[in-house]
Amino acid sequence: MTTGPQAACPNCGRAVGSGDNFCEGCRTELVPAVVSGDAPTAATECAFCHAAQLTADGYCESCGRKQPSARDHIEVDLGLLAGVTDKGLRHSRNEDAMALATAEQAGHPVAVAVVCDGVSSSRRPDEASLAAVQTAVRVLLAGVREDADLLETSRAAVAEAQRALAGLDEPGPGDAPSATFVSAVLTHEAATLCWLGDSRAYWLGSGPGAEAKRLTDDDSLAGEMVAAGLVSEDDAMTLPGAHVVTGWIGADASGTEPHVATFTPPGPGVLMLCSDGLWNYRPGAAELAELALPRALTDPLGAAAALVSFAIEAGGMDNITVVLAPYPPTAPAPEEKTADE
Amino acid sequence: MSSDFTVEISQNEYLAEGAEDVNAIVTVTAPDTGLAAPVDDQGSAEIIIIDCSGSMRSPRTKIEQARAATAAAVDVIKDGVAFAVIAGTNKAQPIFPLDYGLAIADDQTRFLAKQAVAGSLPRGGTAIGQWLRLAHSMFLSHPASLRHAILLTDGQNQHESPEQLGEAISLCEGVFSCDCRGVGTDWEVSELRRISSALLGTVDIVPDPSGLAADFAAMMQTAMGKQVADVSLRVWTPQHATFRFLKQVAPMVEDLTSRRVQSGPQAGDYPTGAWGAGESRDYHLCVRVTPAGVGQEMLAARVSLVAATPSGPDVLGQGLVRAIWTDDEALSTRINGSVAHYTGQAELAQVIQEGLEARKRGDEDTATAKLGRAVALAEQSGNEGTAKLLAKVVDVVDAASGTVALKKRVDDADEMALDTRSTKTVRTKK
Repeated sequence: MTTGPQAACPNCGRAVGSGDNFCEGCRTELVPAVVSGDAPTAATECAFCHAAQLTADGYCESCGRKQPSARDHIEVDLGLLAGVTDKGLRHSRNEDAMALATAEQAGHPVAVAVVCDGVSSSRRPDEASLAAVQTAVRVLLAGVREDADLLETSRAAVAEAQRALAGLDEPGPGDAPSATFVSAVLTHEAATLCWLGDSRAYWLGSGPGAEAKRLTDDDSLAGEMVAAGLVSEDDAMTLPGAHVVTGWIGADASGTEPHVATFTPPGPGVLMLCSDGLWNYRPGAAELAELALPRALTDPLGAAAALVSFAIEAGGMDNITVVLAPYPPTAPAPEEKTADE
Repeated sequence: MSSDFTVEISQNEYLAEGAEDVNAIVTVTAPDTGLAAPVDDQGSAEIIIIDCSGSMRSPRTKIEQARAATAAAVDVIKDGVAFAVIAGTNKAQPIFPLDYGLAIADDQTRFLAKQAVAGSLPRGGTAIGQWLRLAHSMFLSHPASLRHAILLTDGQNQHESPEQLGEAISLCEGVFSCDCRGVGTDWEVSELRRISSALLGTVDIVPDPSGLAADFAAMMQTAMGKQVADVSLRVWTPQHATFRFLKQVAPMVEDLTSRRVQSGPQAGDYPTGAWGAGESRDYHLCVRVTPAGVGQEMLAARVSLVAATPSGPDVLGQGLVRAIWTDDEALSTRINGSVAHYTGQAELAQVIQEGLEARKRGDEDTATAKLGRAVALAEQSGNEGTAKLLAKVVDVVDAASGTVALKKRVDDADEMALDTRSTKTVRTKK
């Protein structure tokens, strides 16, 4: 590993070490999480009628059309992992959100990701998912940096996200703001997973014997019926109400315990988190691996974008989010070279 | 200026592909307490107009009760409020004060006003337009911004044409609000409704003169509670949208669609009159828009509550009516409870009025069908007040299906009560 100052703090300009989380001068977070939906749009004219009368709440003052949101399509590439989220074709907004982060633990790079899918029947689901990923990634990142127990940290992240959603709530029709949740912390040893609802984690293995598999069980009517042996997985998804989630984070779900699991990859491969907008069209792990590999091993952003395009071409009925993290997590090659020189 | 008014929108924003009508219920509520001072500090003015035509003498109790009711209302007028009492016949004359202006309420002026009222003598005919014109000029003699009148009559507007009355109403529109009361059963419901509706007031029957005093005092009490004058609903709609209607639907049905005053290239103002603390009203808005594609969202209307102030319009609250096109039938077929409820309440008022008209024409089949439908609607929506009034005009065989028979003999007062109160609605239970 490199020693000595390698870069300058973007805030105060003070020299900082490559493994530092915070600037010692001004406490600026040096490797912050990247959250989908942080960026505002800068459009000045209507995307539909071209009138230059956009209101603060995002409508055209002439034709009334809702202006495209920055959240409609976002790509994030952190090298160690990458993600793409998209509104899809049939929904009016993107109620999925993702947060990606990288950290260093005992000299090894760590990838952190959270994907949430706002529950459409609840109030302000788009804000719920965004608040959840924002809050959870902060807790996860802090846990990794402090070398805390990752299963406990994951549970704590869900509990914090629950509180954030409760704080969002205001009275109105529909359910309290709620969202599905899936998080992963991928170290060089294992993946720590945590979830509620029907957003999933998959292992996409690349070598012989390293088979692809689904790592999470859905909290959904379909998932519960499959688990109870009442229907086959293929049949379950065709049932009415198959997508009704039976577990979620939200003000009305405080105290709900999330599922946690640790997965030790058998060899090289890719960890994937995704919302149902993707797996609806290709639920099987082997088929997903076929779509994603081998590109995802070396170009996670390109592979995530390709998976999103696949879901859009298949119908784009729902919002789609895909996060890919190759295993073992290896710091991007070009940066290491620069550091060694 | 207080900005604590709330504007709440209840709607199903999801439309099926290609659907173009967007419906919403807009609930406007004034703050409970702490309403800031009136929009300007010129205070309020009250005029009581009592029918002093010859017919008020028969029975004699009618004029006596009208005098007592006026006295009761005068007692409720707060210190400092500008007020007057007008005697209406085939012309109009001030009873108090006599100088064609307004007096400022205090113990002495209230006493003098009651004395003058006690000495008023019924003689002559009925020309309500003249009464309104006099009230209009007396109101304008004073700078008060909250102007309200109570008008009492016992007979029809015989001594002027409907056109003359119409002109007088137009003159007064936007200048003052007017609650109308008919005593006995010789007056015309549609005539008083025409006035109260245009002048943003209420209309009701007081069949027995002995009920007048309590009613007048209550009306004046409500008027004294008004704190914000000249509030309008401003509705912005997208280009190429068609404004279908805006109706007040609670506490009573009042179609405001034709009251639009253009306030911008894509916006119109609809007057709502004055508001008291904690007062809440519901409006049903319907806008026809050009459908966008599935997955697209459009702002179908922006509803703002706007108060006129000397320094220009002040926005007191705002709500958004949205349209989102979806191919998810579970979303687009969801019926909004408030919209459905008030659609029923508006229909209830309409079928009662149509049914009573048909009954007057002697068209019993239509009357039975319309009033039967009314019974069913009142039953479904839990509008017990209207259901009771209906039961005095028809024999209800089965309320749920609206099976009724017209009563052979109906008391005039019962029929008029049903007519005047047909627009009263009940709110949805939340």
